[in-house]
Amino acid sequence: MTTTLPRPTAAPATASTLAEPVISMVDVGVTYPNGKVALADVSVAIAPGEYVFLVGASGAGKTTFIRLLIRDQLPTSGRVVVAGKDLLKLRRGQVPKLRRRIGIVFQDFRLLPNKTAYENVAFALEVTGASSATVRRRVPQLLNLVGLHEHDHHLPTQLSGGEQQRVAIARALVHDPAILIADEPTGNLDPVTSWEIIQLLIQINELGTTVLMATHNQEIVNAMRRRVLALEHGTLVRDEAGAAYEREY
Amino acid sequence: MPFVRFVGFSVIRAWQGFWRNAMMSLAATATVVLMLVLLAGLFVVLSGMDSGLKFIESKVAVTARLRDNLSTTDRDALLAYARSLPGVRQVTYVSPEMAMERLRQAYADRGQKLETGGAKISLYASIEVALIGPSHAGSVSDALLDPAHRSQVAQITTKQSEYDKLVGIINVIRTVGIIALVLVGLTVLFMIVNTIRIAVYARAGEIEIMRLVGASDSFIRWPFILEGILCGLIGAIVAVVMLAIVWEPIQPILVSVFQMPTAVSRQFLATLSALLFAVGLGVGAIGSWISVRSNLAAVI
Repeated sequence: MTTTLPRPTAAPATASTLAEPVISMVDVGVTYPNGKVALADVSVAIAPGEYVFLVGASGAGKTTFIRLLIRDQLPTSGRVVVAGKDLLKLRRGQVPKLRRRIGIVFQDFRLLPNKTAYENVAFALEVTGASSATVRRRVPQLLNLVGLHEHDHHLPTQLSGGEQQRVAIARALVHDPAILIADEPTGNLDPVTSWEIIQLLIQINELGTTVLMATHNQEIVNAMRRRVLALEHGTLVRDEAGAAYEREY
Repeated sequence: MPFVRFVGFSVIRAWQGFWRNAMMSLAATATVVLMLVLLAGLFVVLSGMDSGLKFIESKVAVTARLRDNLSTTDRDALLAYARSLPGVRQVTYVSPEMAMERLRQAYADRGQKLETGGAKISLYASIEVALIGPSHAGSVSDALLDPAHRSQVAQITTKQSEYDKLVGIINVIRTVGIIALVLVGLTVLFMIVNTIRIAVYARAGEIEIMRLVGASDSFIRWPFILEGILCGLIGAIVAVVMLAIVWEPIQPILVSVFQMPTAVSRQFLATLSALLFAVGLGVGAIGSWISVRSNLAAVI
């Protein structure tokens, strides 16, 4: 069933192409030990404040692309620079600091089921050594930002899918990251809720955070008309501003 | 302050983890208790036997019974010869009269009176050779029985055989005890490694989130290591409490059987408690460290 999404309010482009890229990949390749090529010669630069869609069929290389950015994986060739850090030169001890500059949300939310919404967000601060004063100040701010301040004491099972994703977004923002990576954030949500999440991501992007969203949702991409990176069999086949999900020419 | 927060976070998480995986944690703790009780028993027995050994060591001396009618000149020459032997600390001549007086005193110490039934008892004269250490007993005995002095010395007695027997028993107990301890220690390590392994896999989701939000390796690892240390700590507390309960009945045995002075035995209790805590915490830390090193990498 296809449902037409309401068109988003046009968000002004905040990206500056002159600024130092917040994400830069130069001739990046990833080949697994079994010979399978996950990415081949990918070069891309994303400026601060951009909202970018990463599209492609399953197995096209989107997950590998994202894993490279959070340094969950290293390229077999090329260079990846994120938030000013060359990931190949980054020492292991520096990786946590890099990850605090990157927020990430997933299709399956990945909330801790035995913790409330408040505790899930607070957990992300506590495990990075934040003081209790910071936790008390920051968590309500974030839950307020995502519109869940009245549900802070609810467990994930007591929240809808959209609300759970909002908690996940609040958690991803605890360290005020430069980049927010959303890996199929609407994949488990109904169309209306999906759009609410997109509105939230737009709002976060307007506050200056670079958003990279991997998605299969054509309607969202077509409605938003933002920059699109399209991967096919590990190759970047399209990098187009103000684009649709599919090539239009 | 960040370090305090890190310690506080790790301790709280370790405590929560211990009770979240209560069955395995308590089983691991029980094996720690078993190992520490065994260690305490071995320590008590070996220390007691060592103390007894020292007591016997101090008593090991060579007594040379002199032949009758030995001239004063020969006796003095023998005393001088004995004093010149290596390993000899002191040489004392015991005349027949002194020997008789000692015998009377020994009876008197037991509350008895030496009755001879009117017969005149004449004891042998002897020399008592105190040694630097029990290992010299054989060489000194041989030297006093050499052909040049055979006409002066009738018989040699030492407590060497008792000493050797006790050393043999201690060595057997020590060997068997150490083997048993190592086996139980390995079992404890296995239990702790598995307990932490299960904890790591049960909290794989949390670990994943921690990594993604930028938690450092220390924040991820230390709660698990502390959880293993907690097993060791609780095990040590239980073992020390058990030791304190049975200490009263044990103490007289240590004092009388092993010749262990009361003052030493009190110090001994403190030393033993410290040992149990050190071993309990050490085994807990090593077990959890091994587990975290081998299993956390698989999860993250």
